[in-house]
Amino acid sequence: MSTAPVELDQPTSETDVRPDLPWLTIVWNDPINLMSYVTYVFQAVFGFGKEKAERLMMDVHKKGRAVVASGAREEMERHVEVLHSYGLWATVKKDD
Amino acid sequence: MASGFKRTRHGIALRLEPVETAVVENLVDQLKQMLEELPKGDPGLAELGISESTEAPRDAALARLFPDGYREDGEAAGEFRRYTEASLRDGKERDAAVVLASLGADEIVLDAEQAQSWLRSLNDLRLALGTRLEISEDGYERFEELDWNSPEYAMFVTYDWLTQMQDSLVGCMLSR
Repeated sequence: MSTAPVELDQPTSETDVRPDLPWLTIVWNDPINLMSYVTYVFQAVFGFGKEKAERLMMDVHKKGRAVVASGAREEMERHVEVLHSYGLWATVKKDD
Repeated sequence: MASGFKRTRHGIALRLEPVETAVVENLVDQLKQMLEELPKGDPGLAELGISESTEAPRDAALARLFPDGYREDGEAAGEFRRYTEASLRDGKERDAAVVLASLGADEIVLDAEQAQSWLRSLNDLRLALGTRLEISEDGYERFEELDWNSPEYAMFVTYDWLTQMQDSLVGCMLSR
């Protein structure tokens, strides 16, 4: 890593190629889906380990919702579509 | 279904009594009828998986099976629905067909893919029944006070049975 004090090129609006603000996949609590089932779906859909899947499931259960993924909008919409196929109550939201 | 789903050497297995088979068959048939109530839209667009509906279904149970993809943006929710609702319905119909096709054997044995279909379909049934029963976080006390001869009590018993069945299936699928 260089320690030389070089002038960094600050990204300008023309050269800024950062993607859009990340979008979020949110799962909401509902009284019907089983806790064991939601944990299973998180593991099956996102490949999360048991611990992470259970932690997110508990967040949904206790806090009413949890962010389960973030990234490009299209990717989040695909996640939500898959979660809907499992009957989870999921939505896309722009991160703010 | 005294003991629910079991993991065996050949796959995930389930034994149902004839009366239980009849209940599942009846419920899945009702689910299929519900799915047909969704607007189909333009047949040409439908082939591309695009439906014309941009509004959530009016029926509460259908709306729970086909929820909005955006919560605070009605326009985005409508567009999302237009592009996803038809394929979501097709998937639910496929899952329902897998369940119906496997019924009837003394012992139902499911491969991994069939087990997924059963899992999603059982969940669809629970969502539909649970929405009709207005299941809430408050627990089941309300149902314990119901007249045992009331249709609502029968519906609740069915819901509870589906819950046990789904929980035993999840147990098999998690313990791989």
